[in-house]
Amino acid sequence: MTSAQDVATSVTSPFGGEVGAQRRVRGPSSAPRLGQGPLTLTLSPQGEGTRGRRRFTPRLLSSLLPLAASLLLSGAAFSAEIKIGYLGLKDDPRYHPDLVYTRIEIAPGGNPVDGATMGVEEMKVVSDAVDQQVGLDHQEATDAASLVAKLDQMVKAGEQFVILDLPAELVDQVAGQTREWPVTLLNATAPEDYLRQRCYPNLLHTAASDRMLSDAMVQLLRTRNWTKVLMLVGSEPRDKAMAAAFRASAERQRFNIVDEREFTLATDPANREKNNSLLITGNADYDVVFVADHQGEFSRYLPYDTQLPRLVVGSTGLVASEWQWSWDRDGSTQVTSRFEKLTDGRRMTGQDWSSWIAAKAVVTAYAKARSGDYQKTADYIRGNRLKIDGAKGVQLNFRPWDGQMRFPIVLATHNAVIAEAPLEGFLHQTNVLDTLGTDEPEHKCQ
Amino acid sequence: MRFTRRTFVATAAALVAASAVPRAVAKGTGMIFVSTEKGNEVVVLDRSLAVVKRIATSRRPRDMHFNAAKDLLYVACGDDDAIDVIDVASLEVVDSIPTGPSPEVFAFSPDEKVIYVSNEEDSRLEAIDMETRVSIQDIPTGAEPEGVLVMPDGKTAYVTSEVADMVHVVDTTTGAVTKNILVGTRPRRFILTPDGTELWVSCELSSEIYVIDTATNEIKGDSLIFVPPGFREEDVTPVGMAVTRDGSKILLSLGRANHIVIIDGTTHDVLQYVLVGKRAWSVDLSSDETRAYVANGLSDDITVIDMASMKPIQSVPVGRVPHSVVIDD
Repeated sequence: MTSAQDVATSVTSPFGGEVGAQRRVRGPSSAPRLGQGPLTLTLSPQGEGTRGRRRFTPRLLSSLLPLAASLLLSGAAFSAEIKIGYLGLKDDPRYHPDLVYTRIEIAPGGNPVDGATMGVEEMKVVSDAVDQQVGLDHQEATDAASLVAKLDQMVKAGEQFVILDLPAELVDQVAGQTREWPVTLLNATAPEDYLRQRCYPNLLHTAASDRMLSDAMVQLLRTRNWTKVLMLVGSEPRDKAMAAAFRASAERQRFNIVDEREFTLATDPANREKNNSLLITGNADYDVVFVADHQGEFSRYLPYDTQLPRLVVGSTGLVASEWQWSWDRDGSTQVTSRFEKLTDGRRMTGQDWSSWIAAKAVVTAYAKARSGDYQKTADYIRGNRLKIDGAKGVQLNFRPWDGQMRFPIVLATHNAVIAEAPLEGFLHQTNVLDTLGTDEPEHKCQ
Repeated sequence: MRFTRRTFVATAAALVAASAVPRAVAKGTGMIFVSTEKGNEVVVLDRSLAVVKRIATSRRPRDMHFNAAKDLLYVACGDDDAIDVIDVASLEVVDSIPTGPSPEVFAFSPDEKVIYVSNEEDSRLEAIDMETRVSIQDIPTGAEPEGVLVMPDGKTAYVTSEVADMVHVVDTTTGAVTKNILVGTRPRRFILTPDGTELWVSCELSSEIYVIDTATNEIKGDSLIFVPPGFREEDVTPVGMAVTRDGSKILLSLGRANHIVIIDGTTHDVLQYVLVGKRAWSVDLSSDETRAYVANGLSDDITVIDMASMKPIQSVPVGRVPHSVVIDD
């Protein structure tokens, strides 16, 4: 706890437009002329929706003055040592180096805890400014029961936000068993859509959902008018989940899925319709091939080996992701190179981005809410006053209906970002980022 | 010689000198210089807006400033860790000053003996002695420092950290950060009002402009948000700013909203939204303040605005990813 004097200092140096400063919104003036000042509009603390009709006024005034006053009077500013939890799976196979036959490495491994570490580190100057010492507590366990036990210890040690770096079924079990606990879980690496439909009250998602990724891909295909799609799908649940998301996205844009075929990895001649690239892509007319193959062993041989001269997208060729190291806009190069410095040259992946942004969101919420009360910080992170910079050129926050962070998706080849979704021209009634992923009207809790 | 620089990191001393003491008017060449980040060149246009020369520079040229005599133009080149120096008469690169990694924005001390440059890649504000080329101070900042402004008395420098949402106040004598001012999301650039009392900070991702009282280094009043008709607040990503010599008008680029807004410098009322090119960033005024020039990063052109009618006159293709515009007139 700081002295009363310190508190007064910290409060009078206004912070992030939240405590000390109000915002004046200069709304659209349809035909602004010289000397014509905008009129005024009182905005609710939430602000959205009522904003921007040729008016301006102090925003958040009524809600913030009492807070500022109470901080000044009571000296209740929150200064503390804060630990952010990071719970992963011991020896997670998802982060093994991608070794194929004869141990050829086709993609280096790497644990996304590096992203969270970088997020905490680069926000240190902010935490310091508000007298908070933030650290990351990295824990691992082997199964659902031991993960829940580990989480119990973390919560009892005072951790209020824990980043989950787990496969979907473990996220589901851990979040399901701890839904009443005073802790916010941030799913950083599981893309499965069903997790977004569970509606666990304490679960947020910074991994892109499968649906966000497929909506991004479909937007690109729509702008190219490549709407006749041949789908090739693997037999594993992960492949089927990606395929289901793609079907939903394709339906939204009225695509024509000309056929959906299951591939297998083998050369058995009796099964050649399923394992031979030329045969599995034959006897159909399509603009593009979408392949759902999370292991990548089938798909990496597919481009240049299709019956028709068509591009391949999905798990190879053009891939949708949270991040790609070659992206060079909106300060992303700096993020990638900071990450490479931290990890001795590892290139930042989508999962690294998601754990990075999860840590940044938590540190920002602590710094801006500046409250010892867990609920206030938890409300802040979920609220629309959160505006996180994810090096994507737009402000990011969480969707209230399913706890998913909204953010742009990159569509990249092995060394270039071809497009960033939402693509220009895809509009939405409230936020164009909500053209990616399950939108509020179609969202259902299961 | 006249002073013309009115943009974000204008050498503040020049502003005060120009407004306080009328100076002899030298004839400028009228040439317009545009740095192009991906073109690796400074494009020179004449008064008729015809391209007269493309000066090859080090890689990724960004922020540019003239010296006070306006015979040299300095260009920060991010991918070669250097500030190139262009001779305005010959239009040749005549020198190059080595900097730390990825210099982005810089400002001179009032006596032009020191150059303060934000090094985006290593989170430092670096002070370089112009004569010896030696780095005399290396001031740690939050990650991705960008906007730099030195006060007219030379005693204080301000630098933004885009990642930390902060303005660092630096004592130039000691090289120490004396205060951190927390502002909106991703703070980018500065302008100082001509009377030196207000420091404006553009916050790209929270769509806001913060005003800092330079006497107290506290935030003054409300943050400002300007939303052109038909746009949403999140479309507005302000970066570049310029102010007229009398402080009566301030120009703010609105980035992805593809507009600039011209506002009343006192009441902050909107005078006009002006449609320009894609992702409008840097904005500068001609010295007679009849025209404004806007660099449009994603449409590879600059837009010329007539300040009397507050309407765009013409957009001129210049090269790949225009970053900054300065005018020698």
